[in-house]
Amino acid sequence: MMRSPGPPSGNPPKRWYVLNEKTRFMLLLLAPSATLLVLFQILPIIIGANASFRDWKLYDPQRTWVGLEHYAYILTDPIFLTLVLPNTLLLMVLSVSIGLCLGLALAHLMNRHFFGHTVVQTIILLPLMVAPVIASMMMRWIFNDQFGVAAAVMEGLGLGSIAWLSDRWPSFAIIVLTDVWLWTPWFTIILLAGLRSLPKEPYEAAAIDAAGRWRVFTHITLPMMRSVIAVCIVIRAIDCFRTFDQVWVITGGGPARQTEVFSIYAYTEAFVFMNFARGTAAAIIGAIIIGALGWGLYRMLNRFMEVSR
Amino acid sequence: MTAAAREYPMGRRSGFLDALAPGGRRVFFLLCIAAVLLLFAFPVFWLILTSLRPAWGVYYVHRGLEFTVSNYYQVLQDEVVVHAFINSFIIATLATFFSLTVTVTSGYMLSRFTGKIANAWFGTIYIFRTIPYITWVLPLYFVTQWWGIFDTYLGLLLPHIAVHICFFSWLMKGFFDGIDPSMESAALIDGCTRWGAFLRVALPSAIPGIAALSVLCWLWTWNEFLFALILTSHNTPMITVVMAQFVSELGTEWNLMSATAVMAMGPALIVAIFGQKYVVRGLRV
Repeated sequence: MMRSPGPPSGNPPKRWYVLNEKTRFMLLLLAPSATLLVLFQILPIIIGANASFRDWKLYDPQRTWVGLEHYAYILTDPIFLTLVLPNTLLLMVLSVSIGLCLGLALAHLMNRHFFGHTVVQTIILLPLMVAPVIASMMMRWIFNDQFGVAAAVMEGLGLGSIAWLSDRWPSFAIIVLTDVWLWTPWFTIILLAGLRSLPKEPYEAAAIDAAGRWRVFTHITLPMMRSVIAVCIVIRAIDCFRTFDQVWVITGGGPARQTEVFSIYAYTEAFVFMNFARGTAAAIIGAIIIGALGWGLYRMLNRFMEVSR
Repeated sequence: MTAAAREYPMGRRSGFLDALAPGGRRVFFLLCIAAVLLLFAFPVFWLILTSLRPAWGVYYVHRGLEFTVSNYYQVLQDEVVVHAFINSFIIATLATFFSLTVTVTSGYMLSRFTGKIANAWFGTIYIFRTIPYITWVLPLYFVTQWWGIFDTYLGLLLPHIAVHICFFSWLMKGFFDGIDPSMESAALIDGCTRWGAFLRVALPSAIPGIAALSVLCWLWTWNEFLFALILTSHNTPMITVVMAQFVSELGTEWNLMSATAVMAMGPALIVAIFGQKYVVRGLRV
């Protein structure tokens, strides 16, 4: 089974529980990761699932079985249905699509040699390594209602002032902006690596046929980059669904829970409203939603791979 | 497009931009670069500028010209902040070491073997990669309390190792896939054990990839917020949580907050300037 021809692994096992030498080696390689995964991810999820069916408040853990009550509550909660779910999905769609478009443009810009290339790359890489918490603080300060530089610029342009963090859509826009700022560099790096590994011949053929730049982009670059772009979208969409830090620091879910996303909702239910069971139920509902979405995206990715092959 | 251009398509080197002015494309390119730099560097630049302003000058930061470093001194007087910096440093370093040690073997397994066990593990890490952190960190709040490791180094370190298992196993598989397995077979034929073939032949060739990943892993752990928020209390403050508390508690002292944030950003700045190639290499999917 080893890809390379190895020495024969001895006699077949005599009993079903006697593992041969190769299987033992495989399991030993796997053991540390698997143990940690079981103890710190699988076990907590099982405990959380168990708790979500019980009456479990942080200040009064009765632990009596209440069945699907919490799930029914969340799935009929107007806050979850009209604010949390749309916010989460909108953030996901906006952040991924804007990040992807900007990342593609930047990757094209970077895919040539010019003076100061390294400096530009340093600056582009910076947001990737700054903590989301710090990035959110910066944005909060820049968009401070009274003293922020954005307010000063808008005043200078005579546009009047916006109370950025006291309305739903302006604060949501800042969250999206922060997420795009944080993640565009990631798209850029991955797409740039993709661009650099493309074959040269189709471009030469296009140059001979005098194809315009836009044509070359839509008819050659995009089809060849399909699989890279699909992988980017899947990974980013999954990660974006669990966004917590940015929203927590910028708005804390406010004003009046209007910018809550799914992770914030679960945290708030568990630790602010002290209803641990409801929080875990929300977390599990979220996991199921992203599981289904991830599965769909994964299927899409596979199809893209086949088309582009 | 004019009739002439249609007749001689080869002559259409560039369009609109060069028609505007000679070298229009070049100017446009430079403008794009400038816009990018402004977009990505400005928030960081602004934060550094704010951190150097005296307390009374912060609110008119775009006007005055007085600068000071006293904010940094003042922040470093605060015991909690210093403690948080030390904690974050220790946790990030230990978590990097252990998560790389743990995932290098499982990545090797995924790369070199096929069959039921490998497929099952691959499916598992794909599933657990998609599950949001909050789903298992919320119950972990209780689990760590039951095990008596809540608000200790261990209680924070182990989840930080666990969170990287799925993604890093996958990346490690990629590193080992890029290494020709024939050397290992040769070692096996020469009488090396499987462990020997892994540790002495495969591992040294994967070092560049692992080094790149370790830089990123360190930064990601340093930057992590959600785990620290849920799994720690007063005994082991982490720098991200301390800063987030600043935002809500000292909501007006932006000079001090900026100074803390700039110090917390230090490792990121250093890596961005000196370790670019590691980051670019480590990010390859």
